[in-house]
Formats: sequence, C-alpha cells, structure tokens
Amino acid sequence: MNPDYALLAQALLPEIALVVGALLVLGLDLAIFRRQEPAARYRLVMNFGAMAVTVALIFACSTGFSGPVFGDVLFFDTLALITRQGVLMLTLFTFGIACDARRLRHPAEYVAVILFAATGLILMAAAQQLLLAFLALELASISLYVLAGFDKSRPESAEAALKYFLIGGMAAAFLLFGFSLLYGLTGSLILPQIGMMLMPQGPSPLLLIALVMVLVAFGFKTAAAPFHLWAPDAYQGAPTPSAALIASASKLAGLVFFYRLLWPGLGMSAGDAARLPFTIGWVPVVALLSGASLLLGNIAALAQTNIRRLLAYSAIAHAGAMLLGVIAAGASGPAPLFYYAFTYAIAAIGAFGVIALVENAGRCENLADLAGLHRRSPLLAGCLLVFILSLAGIPPLAGFFGKFVIFAAALKLNGLGGPAGWLAVAAILLSAVALYYYLLILKQALVVRTDGPIRRITVPPAATATLLTAAGLLVLFGLFPSVLLGLFQ
Amino acid sequence: MNVAAQSLWLIPALPLAAAGIGALTPRGGRMLAAGSAITALFASLVLSCLALNTALANPAVHAVHNFAWFDLGAGAVRLGWLLDPLTAFMCVMVTLVGLLIFIFSLGYMKEDANFTRFFCFLSLFAAAMLGLLVANSLLLLFICWELVGLASYLLIGFWFHKPSAAAAAKKAFITTRIGDLGFLLGILWLYDARGTLLFFDGGAGILEHASLAALSGQTVCCGLAAATAIGLLVFCGAIGKSGQFPLHVWLPDAMEGPTPVSALIHAATMVAAGVFLIARVYPLMEADKLLTAVPVHALTVVAFIGAITALLGAVIAVGQNDIKRILAFSTVSQLGYMMLALGVGSWVAAIFHLLTHAFFKALLFLGAGSVIHAAHHEQDIRRLGGLRGSMKTTFATFAIGMMALAGVPFLFSGFWSKEAILHAAHALDGSPALRSFGVVGQLPLAIGLAGVVLTAFYMTRLVAETFFGSARTAEAGDVHENSAVMTVPLVLLAVGSVALGFLGTPAFPWLQARLLGEAEVHGHSLLEGGGLMALSIVLVALGLGAGWALYGRRPRAAAAAIDPLAARAPGVVAALADRLGFDELYAATLGRLSDLLAMLAAGLDRWVWGGAVNVLAGLGRALGLISQGTDESVINASFDDAGAGLRGTGQVYSRAQTGDAHGYLRVTAIAFVIIVLIIVLGGIR
Amino acid sequence: MTPLQGCLLLSCTLFSVGLAGALSRSNAILVLLGIELMLNAANLNFIAFWRYGPSPAPGSVNGVIFVVFSIAVAAAEAAVGLALVIAVYRHQKNIRLQEANRLKG
Repeated sequence: MNPDYALLAQALLPEIALVVGALLVLGLDLAIFRRQEPAARYRLVMNFGAMAVTVALIFACSTGFSGPVFGDVLFFDTLALITRQGVLMLTLFTFGIACDARRLRHPAEYVAVILFAATGLILMAAAQQLLLAFLALELASISLYVLAGFDKSRPESAEAALKYFLIGGMAAAFLLFGFSLLYGLTGSLILPQIGMMLMPQGPSPLLLIALVMVLVAFGFKTAAAPFHLWAPDAYQGAPTPSAALIASASKLAGLVFFYRLLWPGLGMSAGDAARLPFTIGWVPVVALLSGASLLLGNIAALAQTNIRRLLAYSAIAHAGAMLLGVIAAGASGPAPLFYYAFTYAIAAIGAFGVIALVENAGRCENLADLAGLHRRSPLLAGCLLVFILSLAGIPPLAGFFGKFVIFAAALKLNGLGGPAGWLAVAAILLSAVALYYYLLILKQALVVRTDGPIRRITVPPAATATLLTAAGLLVLFGLFPSVLLGLFQ
Repeated sequence: MNVAAQSLWLIPALPLAAAGIGALTPRGGRMLAAGSAITALFASLVLSCLALNTALANPAVHAVHNFAWFDLGAGAVRLGWLLDPLTAFMCVMVTLVGLLIFIFSLGYMKEDANFTRFFCFLSLFAAAMLGLLVANSLLLLFICWELVGLASYLLIGFWFHKPSAAAAAKKAFITTRIGDLGFLLGILWLYDARGTLLFFDGGAGILEHASLAALSGQTVCCGLAAATAIGLLVFCGAIGKSGQFPLHVWLPDAMEGPTPVSALIHAATMVAAGVFLIARVYPLMEADKLLTAVPVHALTVVAFIGAITALLGAVIAVGQNDIKRILAFSTVSQLGYMMLALGVGSWVAAIFHLLTHAFFKALLFLGAGSVIHAAHHEQDIRRLGGLRGSMKTTFATFAIGMMALAGVPFLFSGFWSKEAILHAAHALDGSPALRSFGVVGQLPLAIGLAGVVLTAFYMTRLVAETFFGSARTAEAGDVHENSAVMTVPLVLLAVGSVALGFLGTPAFPWLQARLLGEAEVHGHSLLEGGGLMALSIVLVALGLGAGWALYGRRPRAAAAAIDPLAARAPGVVAALADRLGFDELYAATLGRLSDLLAMLAAGLDRWVWGGAVNVLAGLGRALGLISQGTDESVINASFDDAGAGLRGTGQVYSRAQTGDAHGYLRVTAIAFVIIVLIIVLGGIR
Repeated sequence: MTPLQGCLLLSCTLFSVGLAGALSRSNAILVLLGIELMLNAANLNFIAFWRYGPSPAPGSVNGVIFVVFSIAVAAAEAAVGLALVIAVYRHQKNIRLQEANRLKG
C-alpha cells in the first residue's frame, strides 16, 4: 500500500476548501471582522462561509475523480460524489437561511463549526474504512452538538444540545464497541475485506450483537424509533439553521454512510425481511425500526401544536420510509434511497428556512403563529406550500416521486409476501394520516385570517434565492426524476 | 439538422418563461408582461424560421432528439422533439399569427384591469401549442394538448364575472374532455401494444414501419384491425378539440372570450390541433388502408365526420346573427373541410387549408374584434351596418378575408386550398376504400360542393349586413377606425391571406411537395381537372349572387326588420338560429343521463362506500376499545371519531416524550437489549 | 482462560459499568463519565483483538492506530460535553438531568 498524497489532495479538494475556509473565517474574524458593526460582521462572516461552500461545491462538481483513494480508506463512487454535492448544496442553503435568521453571538465560530460539520458529513459518505468512518461521523456529530447549543441566551438551546449530546455519545459508544467486535471477528478495518471475511462464517451471536450495536447508532443518526427521542427536543430547542442542518444534510449523509456500511460491508449478514419466516440478520431489525418509526412518527405528529416538534415527528416518519429504502437498496441499488433522502432534505431545509424568517419577524413557535402568512408574505406562504406538499408526497413534487420509487422498490422484493411489502402498504396508508397534519400547517398559513393589522415580513434577497431555489429543485426533480435517478446509471 | 432538432425545445420554452414572468408580475406591470410575451414569441418566431430553413434543406428527414423522462420498471418513459417540414410550417404559422394577435391584443385589451393576467395566459397557450407541435411523443403531445385545453378554458372564462363566459368555459372544457377520454384510451392501448409512444425512434417508433405492420396485422373485436381501433380512438380527441360533429357544440359558445382569444385559439391555432394531430399520426391512420377484410377504415370515418361537420357548420351559420357566432360556425365548417381532406387521403391538402385558414380566419376574427371594439361591444349584425365608410381599413381587410373564406377564385388563398381539397375528394387517390364505394364514395365531394355555395352565401350576408347600408343604431353610427396597433396586424394578415395561396397552386405545389418530403416540385396545368374548378367557381358565384340579391341590393332598413330569408322560410331559419337544437338535444339526453348517473353514484357513495368506511372505522374503534379496555359502545363510529382516536394515540405517544434525558437514555438501552434478544434468540433458533 | 477472553471480559464489564452509570446517575457529568467508560471499553477491545486476535495481519498496527484516534475523539467529545453541561448550569444553576425538561411532549 503506497499512499499517494497528491491523489489524496486532489480527491479531497472540496474538504480542503471547507477546512481552509473554516480556519480562515476564524482568523479573519479575529483580525478584521471583529472591528466591524455587529450587523456588518455577521453578514461578512456568513458570506464568507457561503463562499467557502461554493468553492467546495465547484471543486466537487468539477473534479470527476472516482475510485479508491489512499489505500482503500476512501472510495469515491457515484453515490459518494453525488452525496458530496448534495450535502454541500444543503449546507449552502443553510447559510442562505442563517444569513437572515435571528442573529447569534460569535458568528465566526458558528460558520466555522458549520463548515466542520459539512466536512465530516461529506467524508462520511465516502469513507470505506472503519476508522475514517468513525472519525468523520464524530467530526460531524460533535459539530452538530455544538451547533444545537449555540444560542447561549436560550435555556432551551442548551438543554436540547445536552440531550442530543448524551444520546449521541451513547450511540457513538455503541457504534465503537460494535466496530471493535467487527474488527475482532475479521482482523480488518476495510469494509469490503470485512465482508469477504464474514462470508464463510455465517451469523454468529457475536456478529449479531455487533450488528445491533451498529444499528443503534444508525437509528440515532437517522432519528428512527425507538432511538428518536432526541429529535423532537433538538429540533425545537436548537437555533433554526442548526435544526435545518441536522434535519437535512446530517440525515442524508448518515443514510448514505450506513447504506455503505450495511450493504457493501455487511451485506453477507443481511438476512431477509421480504419473506416469512425471515432469515435472521440486520434487515429484519431495520424493518422493525422502520415500522416503529412510521407508526410512531405519523401518529405522534397528529398531537403536536409546536411546529418544529411536528416537523420532527414527521421527520421520524420519513426516516421510517428511508429505512424501507435501505432494505430495498440491496436489490435495487441506492438510487431510490438517495432520491428520497435528498428531496426530503431539500423540503425540510426549506420548511425550516420559512420558520426562521417568520421567527425573525416575531414568533414562530406554535402552528397558530403561522396564521395569515399568505397576507404577511405571499412568497413565504407559497414556498411553504411547495415544501409541505412535497413532504406530504403530493404530485408533481419530488416528495411524491420519492415515495413512489421507494415503495416500488420495497414491493419489488417480494410483493406482499412478507414484512417488507406490508411495511410499504402501511407506509402508504399512513401517508393519508400524514396528509392531515401537513394540511394543518397549510391551513394556518394559507387559509386562517388574523385580526388586527398585518405585519408584513420582508424577505431578504439571500433567503429569497435560497427558498426559491429549493422550491424550484423540488418541482424540477418531481417533474424530471431522471435528472437525479439517471445519475446512478 | 441535429442542432436545430436539439434546440427545438426553446421554441415552446421561451413563451413558457414569458408566462412565468407574467404570472409573477403584479397587476401594475402591464408593459413588462406584454413586453416579455411579445419578445418571447418573436424569438420563437425567429427560431421557427431557422428550424423551417433547416427542415426544408432535407424535407424527407424526421430529425428527432429523444431523452428519458423517468424510469419505470425495466423500461423508461421517453419523450422527445421532432423536426420535419410539418412541424416547422406549423410552428412558423402559430408564432406568426400568434405574434400579430398578441400585438392586436395590446390595443384591444388596453382598458382591461387584468391585462397582465391576459398576457400570461396567452403566453401559456402559445407555449403549450408550440410544445404540441414539436413533440415527438404521443405522451408529450397529449400533455401539451391538455395544457392547451387548460389555457383555452382560462381564456374563454377570462371575464369570469360574466356567467355566460364562465358557463362557456366549463362547457368547452368538459365537451373536449369527452373526446380526450377516447384519445387517452387510444394512447394507453398504443403504449400497451408497442411499449413506446415516440413517433420516430430510429425504426422503433409508433409511426415507423415495424410498428404499423404489427398494428395493422393484429385483429381485435368485430374484425377491426388494432390500427383502426387506435386510430379511431385518437380521432375522438381530434373530434373534441377541432369541434367536429357531434362535439362541435362548445366552439360557438367559446366566443364569450375576448375576441383576440377567439382569433388565436378558436380560429387559427388550437382548433386546428386536431387536424394537426391526425396529420401527425397519418401513417397510423392509413395503416389499414390496404386491408380489405375489415368492416371499416379509420379514414372513411374521418371523411364522413368531416363532410357532415362541413355542411352542418355552413348551414347553421346562415341562421346566426352574432358576428362572432357566424365566424365560429364557419370555423366549424372549415375544420370539417380539413377533416374531409384527411379522410379522403390527402393530408397535405388539409395542412395547406389549415395554414391558409389560420391567416384568413384570424384576419376575420380580428376584423370582427376591430368592429366590436369600435362599436362599443355591439356584436349583432342586425344592429350594425354602414361601417364601410367609417372603418376603411377594417372593411378592406375584412373583405379580403371574406373573399378568401368564400373561395373567390385565383387571387385568394382560400380558393386554392379549397380547390386542393375538392380535387382530392374527387380523385380519391389516397383512399382506395372510398373509391371502392363507387357513387357513395363521391358523397364527401358532393357535400363539400354544397358547403361552397353556403359559405359564399353567409359570408356575403355578414359583410353586407355589417358594412353596407346605413347605421341602424346609435352604436353603429358612432364608430371610428381603431389605432394602428390594431389595424397593422389586420393588414399583415390580409397580405398573408392573399399570398399564401400561391405556395400551393396546382401549377406549382411547392408546399405540398415539401410537406411530403419531396425535393422536386411537379406542377401540372390548371386545365387538368379544370371541370371541377369551373364547377366550384360557378357555385361560389351562385352563393355570392344569392347573398347579394337577398341582403346587399336592398339593405336592411332597421335593426328589427325581418330577415329576407326568414320571410321566405320562417321555420327553417328559426331552426338554424336555434343551431338545429343540438344543445337542447344534448341537455335532454346526455344531461339527463349524467344527472341520473350522478344520483346513482351519490347513492352508492352514501350507502355502500360510506357504509364500508363506517364499518371499517367501527372495527378500528372496536379494536382500540378492546385493547384499552375502556368505556363506551360502538354506535356512533364515524370517520371523525376514528381521527380523534388516532390523535388520542398520538397524545399518548407524545406524552412518552417526558423531556427527561434519563428516560431517553434508558429507552435507548432497553430498546438495544430487546433487539439483541430478538435477533440473537432468533438466530439461535 | 486465554488472555483474549480475559481482556474481553474486562471490556464487557467496563462497558456495562459505564452503561449502568450513564443510566442511573442524575449528575450530568457522571453520565458523561459513564459514556467515556463505554468508549474506553471499546478501545480495550481494539487493543486486545489487535494483540491476541484470531487473524492479525502481520506487521499491521491498525488496531493501535484506531485506539489512538478514538482516544482523541473521546477527548473532543468530553470537551464539548463539559461545555454543554456548563451552558445548562448557567441557566438552571445545577446540572441535574431531571430538571432539564423544558422540552417535552
């Protein structure tokens, strides 16, 4: 194994751009930005962060590099490259929102931590070796804990971050222990090698325990029931741009990471949940998590009055559908999973963006705070309509097609002959329930009239561009799914 | 060639972008909306001309650009664009006529409060229509077809505060939908049979030899070939959209929309879409023409429907008094001629007539719009009169349009295109089935000749009543010629109405040759088939003379004076004015039937499905009650209660979220243990 | 008992002790401590498998390297965790987890 550093640097140009950007923003803030007016400083720092992500995005789009790097530590295939571009795009959206959200103290640090989080997330998607995977995951997780707790003026923020951190820390410990067992069983850290070594062994109890430990971390990262408990609190307490990043990019990268870990790495011990009686492995466990998430997320969302908690429970429900996509990915590849996760992430980040802007003009805690949004800002109401309808899966938006490809892939496994098929049907039925709470949001935003004077919300250009781009992408991907799905062929 | 085909999508995309701009423009941005619409259409016109130039260089080639829209199962749904002379000619016509009408609308809609919305809809219409023309896939064509219908609905109902306009919009939408249902069935059948909807795809398209051979070889019920059945279903769509008998009833009512809309949509372009559709899928329509054992050929049906429509429209037009309605029925009649041409096997004659008709009918409608605008929205020809002196440009151009439509010989385009149709109906070169019928096969020709007389007659009446004599009401007395923004398009269209005819005279049928993909133009002497031409000239003269004798020689004295024709045959004229009672007939039969069906459906809904839902909800509730072991019996189980039950469950779940981080950690650990137990015990088993 | 079994037994004990601590303590710092113990149990596993494992690749040091990195990660995690504990302390003047329950439902 002869590590080729030049190749490594070339392949990791986007990551390098992000880290350099993060360090520069800290340095420049100390040297120059600090002396500016707070408003100007905030704007400068945010623009700088957005610029760093843009540079990284340009690198990510321009380098057509693919293949293994640095031994087999990283592997850039289509999925990794597209996820990298997707995560960077979502990070850019986050900056677009953060630019015009309620201002936080220490903006430079906030920007730097977002950039670090993005670095971790895009490395996660390409990691093929347990050590680097763990490092990338922790880089992302720790950055996200910090982001969740960044608003030090609000006790909710600190509390949310602490809960997120404690559960995340425990999940990381489980994951590390699981990794150590995998290492012990195979003597290797490289995923394809682990897969090859496991092939002749069959599922031993030790392997199964290792699998479950990995799945605990998986459930945590994707906020799947019953490891979802942090999600509603974190979404509610965290500053809005942080919550947007946690809900979108982190989920996308986490899913891709675990897809890579579970199918190419541990595919031998997948088991089968498409038929009865199912063979044991991790797939039945994921099916269990998926079912629990679908049921709990959709039903608990019905009872919510806080809009962020509602989005959190809906995120749990969506996680259930995505896990179904993970199950189906063994047979139909990662394309449906990625399509669903990415379009969900865009819709979620857009919804949080609308919340951030409404919040900046007053209050946006409960559903009732959205009342009369169509008169306060038709643009926000229109964008919210697109995002929420996409989340609800109404054609022709991308959310509909995402559901369609995932359920089609799940039903293709064995029709209605086993749990995977039943889950798909349950998910379709629960979509009807979901429509109810999504329409509650829209009813407030588009139908309910408020008494008294209308306080109009002015939407700054950066946020306008972000929201319109996000909404436009949802329409585009909905009308032309092959723009995204075709990349995987 | 390929570059032109690949960038063909820009032609519909530009107006679409303009529609987007128009939609986002606030009411005040009148010039922005109109400017972007006109600029975009002008750019499309330029692109269309370039495309035409490219297509004419290689007229026999169908240049296509296909792409996958999305994957479905093993295959992909593919769409694409197509460039051939037919598409190119139609694009140029639609963009050119559309552009002139857009400009005319600047003046006509000047005072309307919803000016920006109007231009947004117009652009949307143009985009959909152009998309329909460039489509290389029946699916894409159908999507644009429906969008065209939507735009037409929006524009007919543009003055939605008028109940008659709202009703007309609804009627147009629903009536055309009946035809579209057949069209959709045809599309589905075709997709099922061939697995693709692309027209041309390097040998695999539905209009290419392999597919046609397969479809005409396959027999379905009653001995029909599959190609015939699909062709007839597709023709259903054309019947609806092109106002053919028996679905012609929506077209005259559609005149409730603003007059430029009537000109653009219901005269020049949209209604011609049905004719275009049949011309586009012509290989499919004529795939069965050499089969002898089939009970009916698709084209025979087309020919007879066209002939009936041509005569019917002309007859009803005689009895109408509203200037726009007369023109509307004449449109119905002319579309019938086009269908007739398609049916007798000469699709190039149909397209030739389509192109010339687009110009002179747009001219006539805009002329009518000019009259209406000047005469303070007076549309009844009995209450007009004597406009010849006060509106000179409008009169001159309208007269040119009228002579083109009536088929006045030699100078006017309508004469040449109508001649081409009549010759095709006489020769029957493209329709061996009709020829084998003998005398019956000449029936479409006879009907067409009868229509010629009537057309000349009612157009003479229209012009005589409107422009000659003296003003019969105050509105008609107080008219002035409109501004240049309205008259210039009239003049340009008049020029087109004359000039276009010379592209396709029998002596030099350049247009026909190019459409057929021939590089050489084979003209023949005008004397060949001169007998038929002489006959039709005589018939035109007869119609003109009769019209002038009745209406022109002694102009109507007062608005209320009795119609000279009605004085001679009161019953006939009353029936004609009543449009032969088609609307009443439909209301009495189909309307009743649909009421009945609706009642049946409502009953089914209420008693059967509602009951089933109630039973299901009751079951769910019962289960919930058993599991909770709580009170209340299962009597009032309805949807609301089931919803409330679900929400209650949600609250229970939600309450489990205590906010205590310890609880969260414990749940995580316990879930871990449970999963390990399940999986390890399961694995050991 | 082979050395490997001994090490694994120890690491499992460590993991369980850590988990029990994390679940039972109400002091946020002690919970953090429990999580650190769990991480260290995993580290011990890596070392043990590297040293006595069934198929150690000759000359490979990947187990040790993993541990070095994961200790660093654990340190970073502890730093962030303590910072968050302080942030909570600022608002509620104690670090009892049960009292941090503003967010629920």
